[in-house]
Amino acid sequence: MKFRFVLMAFLVASAMSLGLVANASNGGSKDAPKDTAAAAAAPAGQSVDNQAAQKENMHLEGERRFRSNCARCHAAPPKFSPRMMATIVRHMRVRAAITDQDMHLILRYMTE
Amino acid sequence: MMCRFVLWPRIVAKAGLLGLFFVFSLAVQAQDDGFKAVPILTGSTAYFTRVTAGQYQDAPSVSPLLLLPLGDKWLIEVKGSYSETFTKDPEDNYFENKASYGMPYGQIDYVANRYMTLVAGRFTTPFNIYGERLAPNWIRALQTNPLTSPVTSGSALGGMVRGGFPTTDNLNLTYALYFSSNNTHHLLATDRSTGGRIGFFLPRQRLEIGASFQQVLQADRPHSSGIFFEWQSDRAPVTVRSEYARSSGTKGSGYWIESVYRLSQITPLRRLELVGRGEQFFAASRLSAATIKKLGALGKDTNEADFGMNYYLRSDIRASASYGRQFVLGRNANLWTIGMTYRFLMPMLPQGGAR
Repeated sequence: MKFRFVLMAFLVASAMSLGLVANASNGGSKDAPKDTAAAAAAPAGQSVDNQAAQKENMHLEGERRFRSNCARCHAAPPKFSPRMMATIVRHMRVRAAITDQDMHLILRYMTE
Repeated sequence: MMCRFVLWPRIVAKAGLLGLFFVFSLAVQAQDDGFKAVPILTGSTAYFTRVTAGQYQDAPSVSPLLLLPLGDKWLIEVKGSYSETFTKDPEDNYFENKASYGMPYGQIDYVANRYMTLVAGRFTTPFNIYGERLAPNWIRALQTNPLTSPVTSGSALGGMVRGGFPTTDNLNLTYALYFSSNNTHHLLATDRSTGGRIGFFLPRQRLEIGASFQQVLQADRPHSSGIFFEWQSDRAPVTVRSEYARSSGTKGSGYWIESVYRLSQITPLRRLELVGRGEQFFAASRLSAATIKKLGALGKDTNEADFGMNYYLRSDIRASASYGRQFVLGRNANLWTIGMTYRFLMPMLPQGGAR
């Protein structure tokens, strides 16, 4: 009885993990950067205005994520070079448990 | 034979979980940032003058942090600390100079996937939030440590699994699980212990709440538990944070609550922030006189209130001053602090500024 229960639990856990993995591999994860999907779906002749609006949205979203994640603990630093920011954000991802999506948006915001 | 038969479902379950862990890590790859990370040297220097119950001290310090990224997924982090404390006697003569140094953490991180990072080496124990996030002197709002800081082991030597991911549009789940081995080196001492932390972060409300647990696996095997919250208003530049920690052993329990108000709405004072913190510590009951002496500050009930201000000359240079009143049975004391902190950051390669 106990063995059956363990086996069933294992199978259910395996199925759930594989489902999640498949979802992530297909880019179906909800924490994938939204601008990537939006850019792919955009028609080739998208107007310059739309692109500017999208860029502005990404900027605002990045600023919002920066304020909610980083500014809770410390003052806003100056903007460093993109390569330095990539290291800083990786460090803070570990230290402050920042999500993958937030990390990318913050990196983009801090390197614009 | 019988014993093996009884145990093997448990072994299968453990092996299955381990297998899932590896499949999960390998299948979901971390995303490339598009920028090649460069090694950097960062950290902070500080000079503080403290007057604690009439005892005058000058304390310059430096805490360098080397960040060495390897590829897209690896990061080596090594932080050192060095400080000198010059103590003055009532006749205004410096009579003692004590140097202290150490390595708060030296760890290697592997970003396994977007949900999980593996950490190995010496790292800060993930218990509540003060030690990991707020302790650097250029970040902390008040330079005095909370009374609850020594309740748990500050550092660990071993491995850790941690991460954070969104569960809904407005809820991020963060977690950390670790184990640590015993190390008796006089500078790098750690306890054999295990524990973890779970946090729930609501980005829109800028509210995070969570809980921590630590089980020491040596000596008296005490366990500690804690809860924390941090909230920042989006209408006013106010941050409120608090921690509670309790130990089952001789180290007692306590809590602190801190509020930080940045006067950014008043133009001439926009670089100034005001800080207040209240805290209570309750020593464990039925302690022997010898244990109380050994525990020091953790051996007595203590109440403390601190008020301070920080002025940002630049985003990386800050002047700080604070006053606190500590209430301990038979020995109340004033705590004055004034000083400056500087946070430095530089690339370790000449092309650090290039893409």
